[in-house]
Amino acid sequence: MNDFEIPATESTPLIRTDRAAGRLEMSGDSYPENSFELFQPVLDWIAGFLGQLLQPLTLELKLLYLNTSSVRAMMDIFDALQDAHDRGQPVEVNWRYDRDNERVADLAAEFKEDYSFPFEIIPGS
Amino acid sequence: MSSGFPLPPGERPLTERIDALLTDAEHRDNPLRAPLAELYNAFSDHLHQLERITRISDHYQAAERDRGANHAVNYRRQLRRLEKIVRISDQYQGMLRELNQRLEWLSHRDALTGLPNRRHALMRLREEHVRAQRGGRSFVIMIIDIDHFKDINDTWGHEFGDQALTAVAARLAASVREYDVCARWGGEEFLVMLPDTDPCAAGDNARRLRACVGSDPFTIDGRELRITVSLGVGSYHPGEDLTEFMKRVDDALYLAKHEGRDRIAFAA
Repeated sequence: MNDFEIPATESTPLIRTDRAAGRLEMSGDSYPENSFELFQPVLDWIAGFLGQLLQPLTLELKLLYLNTSSVRAMMDIFDALQDAHDRGQPVEVNWRYDRDNERVADLAAEFKEDYSFPFEIIPGS
Repeated sequence: MSSGFPLPPGERPLTERIDALLTDAEHRDNPLRAPLAELYNAFSDHLHQLERITRISDHYQAAERDRGANHAVNYRRQLRRLEKIVRISDQYQGMLRELNQRLEWLSHRDALTGLPNRRHALMRLREEHVRAQRGGRSFVIMIIDIDHFKDINDTWGHEFGDQALTAVAARLAASVREYDVCARWGGEEFLVMLPDTDPCAAGDNARRLRACVGSDPFTIDGRELRITVSLGVGSYHPGEDLTEFMKRVDDALYLAKHEGRDRIAFAA
């Protein structure tokens, strides 16, 4: 469960973990050729964090475009957070979006549906 | 222990009667007593065994039923999840599509004047050329150039010049029909194309456009300014290729400039 940072590319988002702060950050576009390769370390890190630590976990997201397999991976991530939340562990998601692109907010709201942990959709500049 | 066998009315259960017989001292020496006791024990064991098997079997059946129910629950959950993925994915595609349309629109616009740009004009010219070649009616092209634009820029600066350009563009755009093309062709040049238009209508249209710019002064940045334009105007000749046609219109514009500006020259 070591921290890692994957720099953004044209087709993949920046992904950065901070175990001490209880933070996972993802920002950018995500349409990787191999979504398993990209997201498995993220899922593993989250599973490790939620399995070992009882401190709160916050996901800071600023995602713009996601392809279908990335949508699926994000749902896997949110499912893991929901399980932790159901066990009483504090988890939250902050999804920031550009005011110029309200559609991203609609999409974040679609994701949010069905989950009961704190999930904020925050307009920014 | 209950054997579970049905009893004739008024009769005690068989097991109780046998228990009673086996414990009765009166039958202690009966030669049937030992084999009956043995048979009775064997029967009890079998009955016990049978009940165990039934219990285990019931457990299995219940477990199988639960498993089936779990499958159904899982299936419904997965289906719901899949529907959600599809819904979200469709929205992303919609977003991209809109973005694409917006970019396409932008790629055909001139950022300063908001008119269609040269790329758009060329596309429409080629379409109209193809249509005319297929035996459609002729079409008219005008290239309109602002007179002494360099002086405007030099005197009041480029920002002022840009405002003048935009103001001229707005008047021209307001003076053409909806299906005409009025584009920024480059620098201070505009291209107007009148699709499906006879050569004899070209003159009236050109005069109208010249007048819409030149007859009333502009007010730009609080300053009143008279702007005139020169026009090269041409009608398409059947069979002509587009480059030749454009060349004729360009030459006409050159002539209008050369002969003193603020005028219309018709292509040969």
